[in-house]
Amino acid sequence: MRIAKITATAVATATLALGLAACGSSEAPPTSSPAAAGGPKFAGKTLTLWRLGDSNPDAKKYTDELVAEFQKQTGATVKVEWIPWPQVNDKFTAAAAGGAGPDVTEIGNDQVPLWQSQEALEPVTDIVSSGDQAQIPKNLMGLETIDGETYAIPWGGGSRAVLYRADWFKELGIEVPKTWDELVAAAKKIQEEKGSDVDGFAFNGGSDANHLLGALAWTAGGEYAVKEGDRWVGKLTEPGFKEGFAQYTSLVTDGLSSKSRLSQNTTEIRTRFSNGKVGMYLTAAWDLASIEEESNGELKGDKLAFFPLPAKGGGEAQSFLGGNDIAVWALAKEMDAAKEFVKLATNKEWGVRYATEGGLLPVYSDALSALASDPVQAPFAAAFAKAKAFPADPQWTEANETKAVLQNAARQVIEGDATADEALAAANKELEDILNAS
Amino acid sequence: MTKTSTLPRGERSSATPGRRRAHPARKASGLPVWSIPYVLLIPGLVVIAALLLYPLVQMVTISFQKVGLLQISGRRPAEWLGWENYASIFDNDIFWSSLRNTVVFAVVAVPLTLILGTAVGVLLHRLGSKMSLFVIIGIMFAWAVPPVAQGVIWRWLFDAEAGIINWALNLLPDSLSSALFGRADWTGEPWLNDTWSIYMVLTICVVWAGFPFIAVSVLAGLKGIPAELYEAARVDGSTPWRTFRKITFPLLKPVFAVLTVLSIIWDFKVFSQLYVLAGTTNRDAYNLSMYAVTEAFKAPQKMGSGAAIAVVLTVILLIVTAAYIRQMFKQEEL
Repeated sequence: MRIAKITATAVATATLALGLAACGSSEAPPTSSPAAAGGPKFAGKTLTLWRLGDSNPDAKKYTDELVAEFQKQTGATVKVEWIPWPQVNDKFTAAAAGGAGPDVTEIGNDQVPLWQSQEALEPVTDIVSSGDQAQIPKNLMGLETIDGETYAIPWGGGSRAVLYRADWFKELGIEVPKTWDELVAAAKKIQEEKGSDVDGFAFNGGSDANHLLGALAWTAGGEYAVKEGDRWVGKLTEPGFKEGFAQYTSLVTDGLSSKSRLSQNTTEIRTRFSNGKVGMYLTAAWDLASIEEESNGELKGDKLAFFPLPAKGGGEAQSFLGGNDIAVWALAKEMDAAKEFVKLATNKEWGVRYATEGGLLPVYSDALSALASDPVQAPFAAAFAKAKAFPADPQWTEANETKAVLQNAARQVIEGDATADEALAAANKELEDILNAS
Repeated sequence: MTKTSTLPRGERSSATPGRRRAHPARKASGLPVWSIPYVLLIPGLVVIAALLLYPLVQMVTISFQKVGLLQISGRRPAEWLGWENYASIFDNDIFWSSLRNTVVFAVVAVPLTLILGTAVGVLLHRLGSKMSLFVIIGIMFAWAVPPVAQGVIWRWLFDAEAGIINWALNLLPDSLSSALFGRADWTGEPWLNDTWSIYMVLTICVVWAGFPFIAVSVLAGLKGIPAELYEAARVDGSTPWRTFRKITFPLLKPVFAVLTVLSIIWDFKVFSQLYVLAGTTNRDAYNLSMYAVTEAFKAPQKMGSGAAIAVVLTVILLIVTAAYIRQMFKQEEL
């Protein structure tokens, strides 16, 4: 039935395209199969697609169907490779240095400025300015648009919320926390009952630590850095950021998360969560399928649920405006086919399916507003509306992951090697130096 | 000794009067005799030049350039920066803490490896042949473990919750534990957070994997010392320590010289074990190799600065090794 629907859509699209073409030429045949319309014009060609994250059944099914559809339309085969998130930058590095790379790749929206600066992404401005893609709100393309050119197309939005063990909450009689203090109390209660090696609320100090720290700091009214003129000015020493940073380090100093895992990232936390060693952590719905797999089918369905990260005084915290994009790799061997693939993958049908089936938020606004009634996605849709982004600068990755400026500041404070004021003052200077370099 | 057999054949004076077969050799190869050793060296030199000298020259060149992915893939020419890469790394606190970690680690780990290795070597020499073989096979397992696996093994042993070290420390009677360490409860003690404790684990790991090679080399050296010397010492009533100092050590000096230089080189550039134990986020625990790798290969790639750090590490190693070798030959002359 789905194939029939797809075929119908494809036929409709093809007819429409031909109708437009017919304005200029009267020779166009009135009826035509989609194969002839899209043409097997890339027959025999092979595209390499990099999907990011761990392959899970939902994402795999979507990708297989998308690839099959593309093959039907253009005749080109698509080879799919899955790259786990913590390895993404290393794999891009190898590819950009001349190693085996993709033709089309999924990419985190905050990675776009970096890889654009390395000339690794091909502009796709013509795709986003026409067709379905023109309906994607332009305010979602802040990170992707550089000097008037768009280098990646938003594919799905991913703000984060707190994933928790609903079965534990029920068993221990814990209400869903509405304030930060309630969250701390809930975490402590979980640790009391489930053992001291369980993290009530997991501290993230790894490569994606700023998703958690950022949410806390932004909610408290803080900022990382603000561009004044053409210079970045660090804002880490201002009261708002300090408050969020104190909340962040208190996760460990108050014992909600063990001191022995100061550098765990979301992937490592997820593995512990799957093994029943974590009560709550900040993530998004894309982890659900992997958790079910890692826990051998034990953790699924109503044992898991999300709530929006609460602000200190109540209300929802601000979340990171995360999102996955799809881009054409600048060193693609099959450039035309790659662009054609991106066009198909981000059109309304496949773009929305990518998001809804992959546990993300659709970038098309009407599809997003339809999610307000979805129990799983509602917290994310709510957070997405208030989401903020990291400094849009190619050097951000250096501060965020490579030098891990704030992770190390937090480590110093937690280990008692520096006060929060000292650590943040040093981090602020370093952040400014990094963002303003080159 | 060879001189005795040099009787020039015929009246013609040969270019190398020391070799009787100079004439036929020349005829066969068509090369002047003096060149033969050099010709024989060429294959070795070519291999070394291709695998070592060329990369070394490249590294030094890159350390004066701005090289990122665009330059590596050939889409942009490399930009000459002069000493800028060096200035920027000397300006960075991470460089100085990495340098400190590198040097302190080597200063601790090299003597520990040598002392333990020598002690085990001497022990092996005194054991019966079956027992000696048994111990050699046992310790060689540690030496044969690949560096990454070494890191993983020790990381698990020192794991805060599942590690056997914390478990064993908790088994100690509380009074003993308190007397020794000032604490009785080791549950969840994080060994891999602080720089000092990371390096303690790293030292154990590297010494554990490094001493078997020293032990076996020392054993090989000991086998070459005539047993009469030890008999004489025993007859003279020498203590074991004195025997070691007056007989074993002087005779094994060349062996120790080589082993020390090798250990210095190995311990200065230790990377894999540290990478596994500490990870890349904790930059306080970087050593120079880790710092060079993150600078060069983590996005955004700055291969110029990475190369500059590697050059500094190479220069330090050359100075230390040269100073050590010079010291050794000086003592020899005395």
